[in-house]
Amino acid sequence: MLKSKMQLAAVAFAILASASVASAGRGGSANKIRNAVATGSVDAIIAEIERAEHLVCQDCGDIMTNLLDHDRYEVRQAAAWWFAKRPSVKTVYITQMTDDLASGTPRVVRNAADFLGTVKALGSIPALTTAYRGMGDVEARRHIIRGVGRMANQAGNALLVEGMADADATVRTEAVRWYRDILRQTDATPMFGLLADADETVRANAATSIGGLRGAGARAQLEDLVVNDPSAVVRRNAAWALGRIGDAASRDALTQARNDASGLVRRTAAAALGQLR
Amino acid sequence: VKLITKGIALSLAFASTATIGCGGEDADDPFGTNTLIILQRPARNEMGDIFQYTSYRAGAHIIKLSPPTADGIQTRICCDQDPAFAEADIGAFDLSFDADELEDGTMVGQMVFSAKLTASDNYGLFMMSLSTGAIEQLPTDSQRDFVYPTFLAGGKIAFVTNEAVDEVIGGQPNQQPQHMDEYERGTTTQLGFMNNDGSDMVLGPRNLSHRVFPTPLANGRVLFTQWDHLGTQNAGHLMTTNPDGSVLREVFGKEGTGITNSYLKAVEVAPGRVLAIGSSRDRTVQSGAILDIRLGEVRTLTSDESITGYAGTWRRGSVVADRNQSEENASYRILTANVPLGREPSADRVGRYYDAYPLNAKDYPDLLVTWADGPVESGVLGAAGLSADFGVYLYDSQRQTRTPILNTTENWEVSPRPLRPRTAPLPIAESLPDALAQGGALIGSMNAYDSSLTQIPAGSIYGVRVYEGFSSEEGAPMDFGTREQEGHALLGIAPLHPDGSWAAVTPANVPIHVQMIDRFGLAQVTEPVWTSGRAGESRFCGGCHESRTGNTLIQPGITQAVASGPVEMMHNVRRDLRQSTQFTRDGAIGVPWDTAVQGVFDRNGCANAGCHDGTLNGANWGVTLTEDATGMSVDFIFDLSGEPVNITLGELMITGYTKSYISMAGFMMEDLEEAGISLTPMPGSPPFRPGMVPEFEYRNSPTAAKVNPVQQYPTQDVSVRAFPGAPDAAHGGLTANDHYILGLAGDAGLNFISRENQGSY
Repeated sequence: MLKSKMQLAAVAFAILASASVASAGRGGSANKIRNAVATGSVDAIIAEIERAEHLVCQDCGDIMTNLLDHDRYEVRQAAAWWFAKRPSVKTVYITQMTDDLASGTPRVVRNAADFLGTVKALGSIPALTTAYRGMGDVEARRHIIRGVGRMANQAGNALLVEGMADADATVRTEAVRWYRDILRQTDATPMFGLLADADETVRANAATSIGGLRGAGARAQLEDLVVNDPSAVVRRNAAWALGRIGDAASRDALTQARNDASGLVRRTAAAALGQLR
Repeated sequence: VKLITKGIALSLAFASTATIGCGGEDADDPFGTNTLIILQRPARNEMGDIFQYTSYRAGAHIIKLSPPTADGIQTRICCDQDPAFAEADIGAFDLSFDADELEDGTMVGQMVFSAKLTASDNYGLFMMSLSTGAIEQLPTDSQRDFVYPTFLAGGKIAFVTNEAVDEVIGGQPNQQPQHMDEYERGTTTQLGFMNNDGSDMVLGPRNLSHRVFPTPLANGRVLFTQWDHLGTQNAGHLMTTNPDGSVLREVFGKEGTGITNSYLKAVEVAPGRVLAIGSSRDRTVQSGAILDIRLGEVRTLTSDESITGYAGTWRRGSVVADRNQSEENASYRILTANVPLGREPSADRVGRYYDAYPLNAKDYPDLLVTWADGPVESGVLGAAGLSADFGVYLYDSQRQTRTPILNTTENWEVSPRPLRPRTAPLPIAESLPDALAQGGALIGSMNAYDSSLTQIPAGSIYGVRVYEGFSSEEGAPMDFGTREQEGHALLGIAPLHPDGSWAAVTPANVPIHVQMIDRFGLAQVTEPVWTSGRAGESRFCGGCHESRTGNTLIQPGITQAVASGPVEMMHNVRRDLRQSTQFTRDGAIGVPWDTAVQGVFDRNGCANAGCHDGTLNGANWGVTLTEDATGMSVDFIFDLSGEPVNITLGELMITGYTKSYISMAGFMMEDLEEAGISLTPMPGSPPFRPGMVPEFEYRNSPTAAKVNPVQQYPTQDVSVRAFPGAPDAAHGGLTANDHYILGLAGDAGLNFISRENQGSY
C-alpha cells in the first residue's frame, strides 16, 4: 500500500504541472502526449491525442506515428484520426500504408488496415482486398475487414462478402457486422447463408444484421432459428430480426418463442409479435 | 448563476427535517430502510471520457447490503442465478418506484439494468424481478449499445442508445447511420423510451453529439446530460425532455452560465433542485465534485407541502427551487470542498466522487455517495498501475464528512440506492402527432421578433433559414473547415408573416439550427445551438429566445404561418439526397467551397492578374507566419484562386483547402498561438482580415462590404443593395445568385466541406 501511495504521489506531481480544463482540440502538447504514453493509460493517451487535434509541434508527427503501432486498437484509431486532420500528411501515410499491405508483417498489415479504415482511404480497397487474400494471420484479416467496414462505403461490399466466407469465425463475424452499416446498404441477401453457420456468434450476428436491413428473404430461416437454434442468443436475435421484418407469417414462430425457456428470448419475441403487420 | 457560499439561517433551523417519501428523517436511520442495493464492478482504469459507455470487464454483480453498515451482510442478487451472466459486466441499474423490502426480508418490485454478457457483445437492457430473481432481457438491437436505464412514471423506462432512428420516407423505414462525433469518433448515444415489458420503444430525436445519464424528475420530465460540441464548445450540459423525447429544454450550464466543463449523473433532490457530478470531460474516471444545483428561486418549505406540477408531498424544511426556473435564477453549491472541478489529479483524502444520491432535501442534504481516495486521474493511476478504488459512504454535506459503508479492494462499489419505495413522478401524456407535421417535425414561432437576447427591428426580417447538421458519419474524416463548425445543409427558408410568425416542416430526428435572414439573404440572428424534433412533434416557440419562464400558448390557426400552412423543408427527401441541384438561390443546399464558392470567384475573374491573385498589390493583405522558436517563416497572401494551399512551417502544415478558402476563412488562430507561431502583416500590406469572417455573420464581413449584397427576397433584384452606395466597378458585377452563394457560405458556418464534396477529401 505504501509503495502505491509513493507511486501515485510522484506521478501526480508530474501531471499537476500541466493540468488544465478540457476544451475541444486545445491545450495539448508533445510533452503531454509523451507523459500520457508513459503512464500506459489508454484513457490518458486518447484524451491527449484529442487535445492535440490541431496541435502544431515539432515532435508530434513522430509520437503519433509510433502510436499507429500501439497494442490497443483504440489508440491506433485515435492516432489515425489525428492524421486525418492533416490532409497532406494523411496522403503520404495512405501511400505508405498501402505499400505496407503488400509487404508488411501481419502486425504491420493490421496497423495499416486500421489507419486506412479510419481515414476512409477508399482508394486502398483493392490493395486491402489483395492483402486479405494473401494473409494467413487471422487478426490481420479481421482488421482488414474492419478497416473496409469503417469506410462504410459500398465499394467495400465485395470484400466484406468475401470475408463472410472466411475460414475463421471471428473474421466472418466482423464482416457480417460491418456489412449492415455500409451507407445506403439495402441488400441483405449476401448474409443469408451465415444463418446456417456452424459458429453461433456468426449466426447471431447474421440474424441481427439481416434484421437491421429488413431482409425479408431470410424470414423462413429466421423462423426456424427462433424456435430451434440451440443458442439462446441466436434465438433472441432471430426474434428481433423477425420483428423488424414484420411479416404476419412469423406469428406462429414468435408465439412459440414468447414462451422460450431463456429469459434472453421471451420479451424480444413478445415485442416482435407486436411489430407484425 | 450564483454560487451559494453560506447556508441560510432558516434552513439550519430545520436541519433535522427531510422530505416525505425521501427517507432520512431519522438521524438513527438516515437511509429510511434496512437495505442498500449496490453495483459491484471489477475495478478498472479505462472508462473513457464521461460520454463513453462501452467499458467492459467481466465479473460485475448487484448486491444487497443489509443492514447498511460496514459490517452488514452482502448478498448477491444479480446475476449468479442465470448462467448467461457468467461473464457479464453491468453498467448501471435502477429500482422501480415500488421496490421495497418487506418485514420478512422479501424484496418486491423490479430492477432494470444494462449489461454486456461477453466481450464481443454489446450492452443490452434487462429487467429483474426483485422477488423471484428472474431476469428477462428487453428487446434491443444486439449490435448496438443500450445503457443507463431508469424508471419513469407510467410503467416506462428511459435509456440511451447508439441505435439510430429509422428515417421514414414515403411511409417506408430507411436505416440511417447514427451520428459519429468527428472529435472523439464515437457513435453518439441518444435518448430512448419503452414500456417496462419492452414494448413500444421510441427513440428520441438526435443531437450531433452524445446524450447520457437520463434521470426522472418529479414533474414527469427527464433530465439528462447533453454533449454540446458546436464550434470550439465542448462541454456536457443539463437538459430536460418529456418522456417521449419531445419538448427539449436547456436547464443548466449553457451559454456561459456554468462553473465547470460537464455535469453528469444528475439526480433530483427536490423540485427544481438536483445533484450532479461536476468534472472535466476526460481523464477523471467519470467522477468529480458533487454540486447542489438549484434551477430557480430557492425557498425553504415552512410546512409539509404538495407542490403544483410535481409529484409527492415535500416535508417542512425541504429546500426547493421550483419557482421561476431560469439561467438567471439558477445557483449552485459545491458540496465537496477541494475536489477538483477540472481534470487535474486530486489530493490524498480529497479524491473524487463517482455519483451521489440524496437521502433528504435539507439545505445541506445527507447523501449516499461513491468515492475514491487519491488522484482519481487516468494518467496518474495508469503510471502507478492502479485503478481508482470506489466505495460507498454516507456523506454529511454540511460537515463534509464521510462514514464508510462498503469498500472492497478488487471491485468498485458504486451507485448505492436505498431499497425503499419512492413517489413516482407525474405522468406526462405522450405528445400526439401534429397533423401539420406530416410525419416530419413542425417547427416555428409565433412571433420571431419576440426575443430576450437581442432587439430585432420590426420589419427587418424576411424569413427564417433552417439548417440540418451532420458529422463524420457521412464520410468526411477531416474537419469541415477551419472554423470548427459541423456539417451544414440548408433545409429551406420560411418567410415571416406580417404577424411575425413562421412555420416549417423539417425532417424528423435530425439536428437543426435556425437563423433569421433579411431580404438580402443575410443572417441577422443565428441560434447558437442545435436542436431537433421527433416525427410528428410540434416545436413551436413564442419567439426566438423568448423568456424561458414565460408560457407559450399555441393556438393553431391563430398565427398566419400556421393558417397558411408550414413551409415544406425536404422532410420526405432521403438524407443523402438532400444536396444542391444547382448553386443558385433556390437550388443551393450545401455550399461546397471548391465548386460553389470557387465558381463565383472563377466566373467573376476574382483571381485574375492584378486582382486577388496572391500578390501584394494593395487589394490583398499578406501575412508572415513565423515560428518563434526557430525564426523560420512563410508568407501567405490573399488569393481567390482555387489552387490548393500548401503551407509548411516546421511541423505546421496547412493543407486540404484552397487558397481562396484560407483567404476568406482564415487560419485557426488558436492553433497558431498554441504552436508558438506568430502572424505579422507583410510590409506594405493592408490589415490582415479574412474575407468572410466571422462565420454566421456574412453581413459584417469585409467581402459583404466590398460587394454590397443585393436583394434576394421576395425577388432577386441587383439594383437594390444592402448597404448605402454602389460597389466599385471591380466588385459590382456579381449576379444575384453569386451574391446568394457567398452569403450562404458565410452564414452556414464558413465550411469548406459540404455533403456535396465530402467524398473528395
